[in-house]
Amino acid sequence: MQPLSPATLLVLVPLLPLVGAVLTLALGRVLGSRAHLPAIAGIAAAATVAVMLLLGTSNQVGSAHGPHAEPVRPVEMITTLWQWAAVQDAYVPPASSAAAIPGTAVGGAGSAARAFTIPVALRLDPLTATLLAIITCIGLVVAVYSIGYMHHDPGYPRFFAVFSLFVFSMSMLVAASNFLVVYVFWEAVGACSYLLIGFWFTKPEAARAAKKAFLVNRVGDFGLAIATFLLWMTYGTLDFHDTLSPDGTILPGILGQTRLADAGGIVGGAVGTAICLCLLLAACGKSAQLPLHVWLPDAMEGPTPASALIHAATMVTAGIYLVARSAPLFVACPDALAAVSIVGATTALVAGLIATVQNDLKRVLAYSTISQLGYMFASLGTGTLLGFTAAIFHLVTHAFFKALLFLGAGSVMHSMGGVIDMRRFGGLRRVMPITAATFLIGSLALAGVAPFSGFFSKDEILATLHAKGWPNAHGEHHDAAPASHASLSLPLERVRSTSAPAAMRLASHARSPAPAAILDTPETFRTLFWMALATAGLTAFYTFRAVFMTFTGPTRVPDEAGHHAHESPPVMALPLMILAVPSAVAGWWLFSSQWLAHFLTATPSFSAPAVMATAVPHAFHMDLAIQGSLAAAIGIVIAAIGHLGRRSDGPQMERFLGPLQTFFANRCYIDQLYAGLVVRPLEGLAFAAALFDRFVIDGLVNGIARLPAALGGVVRRLQAGLLQRYALAGVMGVLAIVFVLAWRLRG
Amino acid sequence: MLPDLSPGVLLAGAVTAAAASLWLLLPRGAESRAARWLGLVLGAVALAGLVAAGRRLGSLGEEGVFLTVALVAVVSGAATIVTRSPVYSAIWFALSLAGVAGVLLVLGAQFLGVATIVVYAGAILVMFLFVLMLAQPSGLASYDRVSNEPLLSAVAGAVLLGLLSLSIGRLSSDASCCAPPTRAAAVVTAAGNAVSPGSRRGLSEDTMKPGAEATGSAQAAAGDAADPLAVDQVARLGGELFGRHLLAVEVAGVLLLAALIGAIAIVARGEAALEDDRRLAAEGSRR
Amino acid sequence: MMPLVAAGSTALLHNALLVGAILFALGLVGILTRRNLIVMFLSAELMLQGISVSLVAWSRYHGDFGGHVLVIFVLTVAACEAAVALVFVLQAFARTGRLDAAAWQALREATLPRAVDHALPASDAIPPRWPRLARAGIEPPADDAAALEREHV
Repeated sequence: MQPLSPATLLVLVPLLPLVGAVLTLALGRVLGSRAHLPAIAGIAAAATVAVMLLLGTSNQVGSAHGPHAEPVRPVEMITTLWQWAAVQDAYVPPASSAAAIPGTAVGGAGSAARAFTIPVALRLDPLTATLLAIITCIGLVVAVYSIGYMHHDPGYPRFFAVFSLFVFSMSMLVAASNFLVVYVFWEAVGACSYLLIGFWFTKPEAARAAKKAFLVNRVGDFGLAIATFLLWMTYGTLDFHDTLSPDGTILPGILGQTRLADAGGIVGGAVGTAICLCLLLAACGKSAQLPLHVWLPDAMEGPTPASALIHAATMVTAGIYLVARSAPLFVACPDALAAVSIVGATTALVAGLIATVQNDLKRVLAYSTISQLGYMFASLGTGTLLGFTAAIFHLVTHAFFKALLFLGAGSVMHSMGGVIDMRRFGGLRRVMPITAATFLIGSLALAGVAPFSGFFSKDEILATLHAKGWPNAHGEHHDAAPASHASLSLPLERVRSTSAPAAMRLASHARSPAPAAILDTPETFRTLFWMALATAGLTAFYTFRAVFMTFTGPTRVPDEAGHHAHESPPVMALPLMILAVPSAVAGWWLFSSQWLAHFLTATPSFSAPAVMATAVPHAFHMDLAIQGSLAAAIGIVIAAIGHLGRRSDGPQMERFLGPLQTFFANRCYIDQLYAGLVVRPLEGLAFAAALFDRFVIDGLVNGIARLPAALGGVVRRLQAGLLQRYALAGVMGVLAIVFVLAWRLRG
Repeated sequence: MLPDLSPGVLLAGAVTAAAASLWLLLPRGAESRAARWLGLVLGAVALAGLVAAGRRLGSLGEEGVFLTVALVAVVSGAATIVTRSPVYSAIWFALSLAGVAGVLLVLGAQFLGVATIVVYAGAILVMFLFVLMLAQPSGLASYDRVSNEPLLSAVAGAVLLGLLSLSIGRLSSDASCCAPPTRAAAVVTAAGNAVSPGSRRGLSEDTMKPGAEATGSAQAAAGDAADPLAVDQVARLGGELFGRHLLAVEVAGVLLLAALIGAIAIVARGEAALEDDRRLAAEGSRR
Repeated sequence: MMPLVAAGSTALLHNALLVGAILFALGLVGILTRRNLIVMFLSAELMLQGISVSLVAWSRYHGDFGGHVLVIFVLTVAACEAAVALVFVLQAFARTGRLDAAAWQALREATLPRAVDHALPASDAIPPRWPRLARAGIEPPADDAAALEREHV
């Protein structure tokens, strides 16, 4: 049997879950309580294939160390499945538009008319391979967990069908190589999210939360649509990759290597900033960033496994993926980049503050997710290679430990008969030790305690923010590295040897003069750094507050638990243990080996000269690590003072916050603000429209209907039943005829 | 006698007066002597106007005879419809029939004049009277004292009369619209030749002097074809009727037979239906 | 022998047609206004007489027997009509006890009230029938249908 080609394997990753979804949907009733089999088989096979692809791509990229180390070259593989749409001569670049002409005038076809083509193309590069592996592997673990969690639910087959469909959609989203296809699956994951949030659709809160998630996401999707239009107008293509036109010329894709090699290939200025801000809006919607974060806490109405996979580990990272994928576009627009950072850091801080006073375990985790996603955005917004890789690094580790935490919360909820209010728990470590232990591991990772995975990724994010805030001082941390970017130390020096000078040269005569940055100043990033550091402390505090409230203190089990109050079954406990391993060690391994950072560098988007120019040598920043750990330690200590060993329903230390507690408990009144600003006026408008419809439109229609009746009412009075009156009417007619005849006889 | 009015104004005035008269005279519930007198006066005015609108026939005797019988017919007809009591109405109608018979005689239709008297006055009217005697309650019924829409109906009738008389009045001014057929034209021509050669082309009444010679020449000119004015005109009418119109006569006989049978059938069936009605009405009232 | 006016005389034709028109109009007014079925029939016959006069006048004018023959048929049809119609009138009378054309109002629109005569003087009104005294405290039953069928108001 021949080994399957990477292209086939790439197609298999989304295809297998899709087949699983269709089978589950078709055979769900037949399979009954075994309805998980097709879905899990599909996801497991996809996970296997994805890991194979990851390893294969890794081999292609080459090792970061060792004797065979060589300059990193972009690794990219495109498989075009079919041509979705093709319109000939759809786009003629304006003659004056420099950006419309690709960076290299290959074949001189820069200003010729181009076709509008939408190829359904899948791509394989390090970024995609990493995300595919994360999606399918965590999807598999969560699916196995769901067997226990969703047991006896009437919608069992439906859950696995949608779950599998989500894995398919998400795989397609990260594998698609065209903005329109990305948009399609962007919507598809939104639809899956909607279906899973509203899984218990008979519950009004769930239905409302699903609706809310869908509507809020629409705002972001609108941004993506506008961005797609702008991209088409600007670049004349929607492909990521370069395509070879029939006449042999290369048509550069937006993120293709041809365009990326040219410093002026990416449009900056107002148009570029607009594109980036629209993309940022889309990312904010999907990744629940301020100001569109309001849907994610409510999305916790869905089943906990769905929350773990979709609303913590994978789907909400689609925004991160989109910004990371579009990194070259953002790098060309410093202000948009800074906006990404500002949004991210602000979200991180605000969500962290709100999380400190939440009493619902899943909601704490939801705000924590928002906060951590904000971290990733803050990192992305620095616009450095380290920032991008750190964001993806944090994405990976966060996927592990946040899925673990959610599954742990689900385990608690499952055992406690559906109760999720932390004030009603206490000392559960004695009731469910495995859950408690794994939850503690996840919490340590989330809080950023030293050897656990969250520590390393968070440290990198702090480092990249610090580097932007103190560009000169940062250099001084590394004695070997001068402040200038022109010469950089190991190990990336060898990477730079070929590409960097060219990038610098191209950048020096960029077609558009660099505008004076408004937001992209060191002062901004200094502020953001302190916000991120404060968020680290807050994260540690609320995480351990939840741990202490739930698992320590006197043992208290809510009445709803009944005889359920025991450790979850193995099918649920096993995934917890599996996830605990990477949560604990993945950070250390990935950081120390620099495998991920090196691997991601081969992504075309990150290997663009403009991005590569910002590469810094890998280093462990002891001072930053100390600062981060100190913040975490302070948070944990405060949480311990307030909650360790106490009854969780007693007076809590939040009361010292005074009015701020109310403010945060009401989620900073953002929902109320939206209700006042958007919902109420729209409802008023709808009410006015309803009134208009009821009184004007209906009145018109009814009036028209009443017109014949009114006329009939007039004429009806003539129908008196008197024969002679009828005869008189007849005579009138005769008279008319006689009159006409006499008139004509008049001559 | 009457002021010299243009024919249109004369006719308009006459029919207006006739309408007002009828409206005043028709039964309207409340009886008013003044209204009745006013109606009679207006009726007289209308008659005078209509007489003035008539054409001179030439000889005073003929005019007198025609005027008399026509007035009898018209006045009795008007009385027929304005009289409250239906019995009196029937009698006025009989008188009107006599007048009509007179007009028919003047028009030279002796057989029809007599037949009208015999058939109508002798048969149909008597049948009406029988019915009246069967059905009429003692005294005046309420429905005999009121009319249905008297004003509108009178105006409608007057407008109809006005339009008809205007059209009729155009006979003299434009004879081409209704020129007599060849045979009659021959008769006229012959008469004109015989009596007054100087005015042969017109159809004006001045030239229309009747005379035995004219009749005779007309007969001669028209050959032995049907002539309503012939001495043996009843025999000729019979010949016409049973010659050219034999099929129509047979159909008319069948029609009479059908009417006879139908009337009997309706009476016979009607009795049963009447019983049903009474039973239903009784049930309805019980409910 | 009647005095004879020459055939083709427009004067005689005019006058005769005028008489016919007057009779026709009188009959029309009668049939439209009079409520007694018999009088309505008399009016119809009056209209027929007007037509007969006109037909004979034209026959005289044209100098042939066409009008005469038509009048004979008019007489025939009038006889038939009288026979059949009188039977109907008798049947109608047998049902209502009246020869009133307005007694047959059932074909009117259901929502319209029955037409009643307002013009009759009070002296002609049917003497009022006083209602029987109901027992004290009970509203006497109102017969709306009977009220609608009343002839006088």
